[in-house]
Amino acid sequence: MLSFIFRRILWAIPVLWIVATLTFLMMHLVPGGPFDREKKLPPEIKANIEAKYHLNKPIITQYGLYLKGLLRGDLGPSYKYLGRTVNDVIADTLPVSIQLGALALLIALTLGLAAGMASGAFAQTPWDKLSMFFATAGISIPNFVLGAFLILVFSHHLKIFPPALWEDARSVVLPAFALALAPAAYIARLTRSSVLEEKHRDYVRTARAKGLPEARILFGHILKNAIAPVVTILGPLAATLVTGSFVIEFIFSVPGMGKFFITAVTNRDYPLIMGVTLVYALLIVVCNLVVDVFYTLIDPRINLG
Amino acid sequence: MTTLLTFFIKESIMRPMKRLFIFVFCLLGLVIFLWQAGDGEKTTTQAIFRMNLTAEPPTLDWSLATDNVSIRVIENLMEGLASYDEALRPQPAIAEGWDISPDGRVYTFYLRGDVFWSDGKQVTAHDFEYAWKRLLNPETASEYAYFLYDIKNAAAYNAGKIKDASLVGVKALDDRTLRVDLKKQAVYFPSITTFTATFPQRKDLIERFGDRWTSPENLVVSGPFLLAEWRHEYRLRLVANERYYGGRPALDEVIFYVVSEETTALTLYETGDLDRVSLPPIAIPQFKTHPDYVHAPFLRGYYYGFNLQIPPFDQVKIRRAFSMAIDRTEIPKILKGGEIPATSWIPEGMFAHNAKIGLSFNPEKARRLLADSGYENGVGLPPITLAFNSDPTNQLIAENIQAQWKKNLGVTILLDNLEWKVYLQRLREETPQIFRLGWGADYPDPDNFMNLFTSTSGNNYTHWANATYDQLISDAASEGDPKKRLRDYNRAQRILTESDVPIMPLFFAAQNLLISPDIEGLKVNAMDFIHLKKVRRRDVNREDAKKVKP
Repeated sequence: MLSFIFRRILWAIPVLWIVATLTFLMMHLVPGGPFDREKKLPPEIKANIEAKYHLNKPIITQYGLYLKGLLRGDLGPSYKYLGRTVNDVIADTLPVSIQLGALALLIALTLGLAAGMASGAFAQTPWDKLSMFFATAGISIPNFVLGAFLILVFSHHLKIFPPALWEDARSVVLPAFALALAPAAYIARLTRSSVLEEKHRDYVRTARAKGLPEARILFGHILKNAIAPVVTILGPLAATLVTGSFVIEFIFSVPGMGKFFITAVTNRDYPLIMGVTLVYALLIVVCNLVVDVFYTLIDPRINLG
Repeated sequence: MTTLLTFFIKESIMRPMKRLFIFVFCLLGLVIFLWQAGDGEKTTTQAIFRMNLTAEPPTLDWSLATDNVSIRVIENLMEGLASYDEALRPQPAIAEGWDISPDGRVYTFYLRGDVFWSDGKQVTAHDFEYAWKRLLNPETASEYAYFLYDIKNAAAYNAGKIKDASLVGVKALDDRTLRVDLKKQAVYFPSITTFTATFPQRKDLIERFGDRWTSPENLVVSGPFLLAEWRHEYRLRLVANERYYGGRPALDEVIFYVVSEETTALTLYETGDLDRVSLPPIAIPQFKTHPDYVHAPFLRGYYYGFNLQIPPFDQVKIRRAFSMAIDRTEIPKILKGGEIPATSWIPEGMFAHNAKIGLSFNPEKARRLLADSGYENGVGLPPITLAFNSDPTNQLIAENIQAQWKKNLGVTILLDNLEWKVYLQRLREETPQIFRLGWGADYPDPDNFMNLFTSTSGNNYTHWANATYDQLISDAASEGDPKKRLRDYNRAQRILTESDVPIMPLFFAAQNLLISPDIEGLKVNAMDFIHLKKVRRRDVNREDAKKVKP
């Protein structure tokens, strides 16, 4: 198991290198540069700026410089937030995204698993239809509509939660739910179909024949097997949730990292684009590793050795 | 059946779900507790002003700041030699006054003796000399270095052609006297000294802290407020500067929240969490009759430019026809923000603004001009594309104008929208036949607007060059007599918008705001400056504590 984890961590290095290289290439292929402005800069001033950030050097040299910095853990200076490094920007915003994302993940799992299990166990009952109706709605309603709806109901009318900002624990609630409902719906549907499939397996019939109570069968046997597909999607899902969401951060004014996936690109802030992409890639690698390790816990047949 | 179901639910769900229920109830309890804890409005005697910034300030280093968000914060932390009064005229600030040599090329600024940095040191002429040379130093890579290009040798030093900074025409003669040598007369120079890029700086601190000199723990300022907190991407907290030479401001604290989404800001205004917001266009009709609504002009022009190198806009008659075929009064009807339709280029609220200049709406004459050029009803014209950067407002305007040209000239044009940076590159490398751009004032002087279309301007994408126009703009910049200056600008505007027509101005923007009735002294001006030193809260009286949500 330890050697498996070690090998996977080693594998992460080429993966990150490929991600870094592809991102670097794509970003430089996109037309328009970081210092293009509505008010065009005099050429001598543009030259000063390009010299400061080595943008006057050939692409291959820039790439070399970037990789050199990367090896030292230095993601470079932001072109937009002058005087701050990309490391600073990520250190300021990633913890907020993690906080929000972790809570959203918890909500998604709780709601999704509960609804999915219940639906699966009571398939074709009104309860099943109701919960699947909400699940379909949850997947189809875009989160900015949901966000606006939550603000309208809980801030404007009920005045329970603040409409935006990041002041106290109450501020987390609406964005966390807005972020969680789509994945919750997805998890619910996944769990339902998986429970339905497992319900008719031989071991369930055996368990029933032994006279085990329905609840034991459901939670002790079916759940354990039905949860595998949910665990599979958990890796990428966790990585996506904790790196933040542009839309949710925008609507609720949350100081997280998600906005940079869009604004760094529109600003052509090359080092920041690279920074957030690499953080995302790294998180995917880590989360998938955690998921793989977790598999062995829920299914002893899986051997990582 | 029902009993069976009840039994089933009880046995299989309720028991194991018990723990879950307990968990959920605990969670609910926590939420309610937090709600109770957070909802108690704190009684305070603090006078706090809260508004939103539309983005995280990219920097608080005033040699590097170029965007209005950073500048908005810096202007409340610092002051320059001069500052604007409410009518946007430069008035003495850190400088008590200044002398101008008879040839208009030497400015001598005399500094007050009672201006101190927040660490107790006096603000001296040396701080200005250092800051200006730092701005011009090529290593600083400042985008606004060109603001001081009127100074002798400044441009050459910035371009690296001169290595010796002492040749630049700015010198502290003693602690309280700053001498500036210009390369040519520039009557707007005092306006330039109101601008953030020219504010004084502390050599000792910048050298000691490097890039970190603007963080709250290091930043030393001399304006009405001090930076107490800067939580990136979220909020900046400013507190009153007791040492400010103009007297301690009435506000104790200013909080700027970074709220990019306009409707979110509006919601926060409605819930009483912000004291001033800019209305999103969609909400303007709804709030027009609101008691807090404030409407004011804004020194920002919006225009369509023609590329004079590509047919058919190499023919002046066609450019005139296109400009004349637009009824600009339709624009405020579709944008609903109280925009001011414009046929001339110098905006309302600025010296030399003249609404009578320009080609007014005349569809018959426009059709005649087009026919005279050999394209009756547009027949035979090459395909024409109007390009703009992707944005709902630009789209609305472009569609309206496309329809107007179809209706009034019989010409069908194509629309092409591009992402902002791609658009900017397109403008530079293959300028579209018709393109959209805007311009916001850096300083409230017509030179800032008219200079744009001189043949040497980097922002002139039309490929239009007119020696008479260039000469008029250059003369007006150094003309001391307002009457003659006005005449020059009138002539230049006629060349620009009536005879040569490389551009067709469309409208001047407007500000649509909500300002809380509890706020007093927040004057709205056409540059959208927000100077908070004279602002006070009506609802906070130090003797009589009142509720203010912190």
